Order: sequence, then structure tokens, then C-alpha cells
Amino acid sequence: MIENNNNSFIIKANNLTVTRGGKRLLDAVDLAVPTGSLTMLLGHNGAGKTVLLRTLHGVFAKDGGTISGPPETHQKMVFQKPILLRRSAQNHFKFTCPELDQAQTSAWFAHANLSPQMEVNAQRLSGGEQQKLALIGALASQPSLLFLDEPTAHLDYESTTAIEAMIRDAHANGTSIIMTTHNRAQAERLAQHVLFIHAGKILESRASSTFFATPNHPIAKQFLTHL
Amino acid sequence: MHPLKLAFTMLASLDPELMGIISLSLSVSFTAVFAALLIGLPIGALLSSYRFPGRLAIITISNTFLGMPPVVVGLFIYVLISRAGPFGWLGILYTSYAMMLAQFVLVLPISIALSRQIFESLNNEYEPLFASLRTPKLERVMVLITESRVALVTIALACFGRAISEVGAVMIVGGNIRHSTRVMTTAIGLETSKGELATAMALGIVLLGIALSVNVASQFIRSKFEKSTIND
Repeated sequence: MIENNNNSFIIKANNLTVTRGGKRLLDAVDLAVPTGSLTMLLGHNGAGKTVLLRTLHGVFAKDGGTISGPPETHQKMVFQKPILLRRSAQNHFKFTCPELDQAQTSAWFAHANLSPQMEVNAQRLSGGEQQKLALIGALASQPSLLFLDEPTAHLDYESTTAIEAMIRDAHANGTSIIMTTHNRAQAERLAQHVLFIHAGKILESRASSTFFATPNHPIAKQFLTHL
Repeated sequence: MHPLKLAFTMLASLDPELMGIISLSLSVSFTAVFAALLIGLPIGALLSSYRFPGRLAIITISNTFLGMPPVVVGLFIYVLISRAGPFGWLGILYTSYAMMLAQFVLVLPISIALSRQIFESLNNEYEPLFASLRTPKLERVMVLITESRVALVTIALACFGRAISEVGAVMIVGGNIRHSTRVMTTAIGLETSKGELATAMALGIVLLGIALSVNVASQFIRSKFEKSTIND
């Protein structure tokens, strides 16, 4: 399970292994994510990005290795396809953040420009609105670590911009973020640190600027030319 | 007079015996369905959400009872509650309680099996969210039940349809006693065998009317639910 951590790294994993159906999804992963960083987890489809995020978050069981991170209550995750209850947007939000009062709830909806949608069924919101709802549900408890699994996949420019702004705000307020994306421009805009994963192994863990300028591993080089 | 015309005359005149039979049928079936939903839905939610020892056994037993012939259920309950049976001391044989019990046993597997399927599908969708939020087990079950409320109307309807149309089991444990345990289905069987087609047809019309009413009510509730979830 997740244990306590020192201050330099918000989360560390050693020799992390996940196997399902005889297939090694994560293969002896070692990583250390700096506290306060916005880390981008990059890799091809099927490389193990989502499995790694979910395993670090503790919602996917590991078969071996250790994870040292903040307590479960200080972590939140936003999924690629928002998982929303079949109830109004504000009632879904209250389910995810039961500790917040009505004034705080309204403030978060205003922050996401979702105030007019508070009473609308969460499942009937647009894709961008759904993702913003999921994001404020994760941010409202002010987590120290936030996992974002392709939060802007399939969204238009306007929604993507709005969500990136919310991600930057959360990061500026001290939340460490680990995020996946298939959008190179977005990765370069947001990332401070990059983890590159391939076939369940971390091949690179470097500062964003150096990774994009001079990737070391041939697979990473090839990946960046197609990203 | 033509039996069909006579049937409508009996219904229009609110024939006391006919009304007594209809009233008893409805109260027995509503009680059995209510109890089956009260117990079956949480079991369905638990079976869909958790893996625990005995889970497969419960599913197997529940599915077996799903296809159990009603007369066999009636016989089984008869043996249990007859004077010489282990529950003979209850003294409920040939009472409406025995009929409620029989219908309860018949519809409980329906409520478990259908709700398990519905909850399982919903639980698969919500599982990552529940896991991420570390939602307690009991709260997960409550969320699954409340989020499935529209589908649950259909389950209730299916259970009621099964209960109200049941004849074999209630005949065995109720005895079809006039003014006591005679319900619509058993009365239809008896009246038809006596050649009293008017009474049988009157009860048949009521049964069809109930089926239609339940369907209309269920459609109405579903549409209201769907509208209310927009502004829930």
C-alpha cells in the first residue's frame, strides 16, 4: 500500500510490477516525481500510461514493488472519460466533495464557468463541461497530488484551453500533477518534467525542456517525431 | 346472457365477492413484491459489487429458482409450513400469509437476478470513481440503488407481473378457500372448471386491466424520472 514520503518527491515507485492475464503491463518501474512539479507521462497507446497512473493512485492492484506517496485522501484522479453519476452536476460534485458547503460548491462552479449548469444532469453536459466538472470535483479537496489521464482528449480548442488554465491554477496553488497526453504542443506548454514509458518500462525521466530538445532513447526520439 | 356481457355487468355492479377476490390478489402480490424488492435489491447490489465466499453459490441458487416451476415452489413451502413440517407451528398454511410467502419465494430470484445485472453494469462504470474516492462499501450499494431507480421500476413491474399471474403455488399453499384465500388466478381456474365463464372472464378482464395499468404507470414513472433527472 501507499506509505509516507519524504519532501523532495511527492511520489516514488520502486520495482513496480503489474501483470494481468500473463501480460506484463508494468515492468519493474522505478520513478520519482518531484514535489510541486507538473509531470507529463508520455508514451504510445498501450505503453502503460493509464495502468501506471491508476497503480500509483492505488486503484489498480500492483503485483510487486513499492509505492511511497501522499495519503490516499490527499490524492485525486481525473479519468480520460469523466465518470459522472446520473444526477445533477452539483449533486455529483457534492458526492465527490461531501465536506464542502453550498457556498463553496457555488464558488467552484463559478471557477469553472459552470454556474448555469449546476442543476443540469451531469450526463447531459457537453464533453468539455463534463471534464471541467470532474476536474473541480478533484481539485476542490485541494489534493497534494493530482493524476490526470488525458483530460483534454477529444475536446475542442476552447474546452482544452479552459481546462489547461484550471490545471495551471491548481499547479500554481501547490498541487503536484502527473498527467498523460498525446498532444505534443500541450505537453510542451504544461510540462516541467517528463516520464517516457514504453512497453511498461520507464525509458526516460528528465526535465521537459531537455527531453523535447534532445531525447536520449531511440524509441523516445521516434515517438516525438510522430507526436 | 353472453358470458362476456355478464362479466362486464358483474364488474360494473362491483360484485362483493369479485371485489374481495381482486382485493386479496392485489394485497398478496403487492406485499410479496415489496418484500422481495426490499431484500432482493440490496442482495443484487452486493453480488454485483463484491467478491466474497459463497457469492457464486448465491448466484447459482438464485438463478436456479428463477426457472423453478411454481408448483414445485408451492410443494416445497407446503412441506415446510404444513402441520408436520419444521415451520408448522406458525399455523399459516391455507392463509394469505402462505400465499405471500410463495409469491415472495417466486419473485425474490427475479429481483436478485435482474438487479444484479443492472447493478453490475453500473458498478463497472462507476468502479474507478468509487475506488478513487475510496467510497465505503455501504455507500456504493446505496449509490447503485439510487442511480438505477428507473431500471428498478422495470424490475418491480416484472416481479409484480410474475406474482399476480401465479396460480400453482398459491393453489397448493392457499387452498383456494372462498372468502379466505381465493385469488384471481385460482378463482379463474375454479370457475372455468365449473363452467361459470362469466366470473372467470370478469376476473380475466381485471387481470388484463391490472397488467395494462401497471405498464401505463411504469411508463409514466419512467418518463417522470427521466425528466426529473434532468433537473435533479
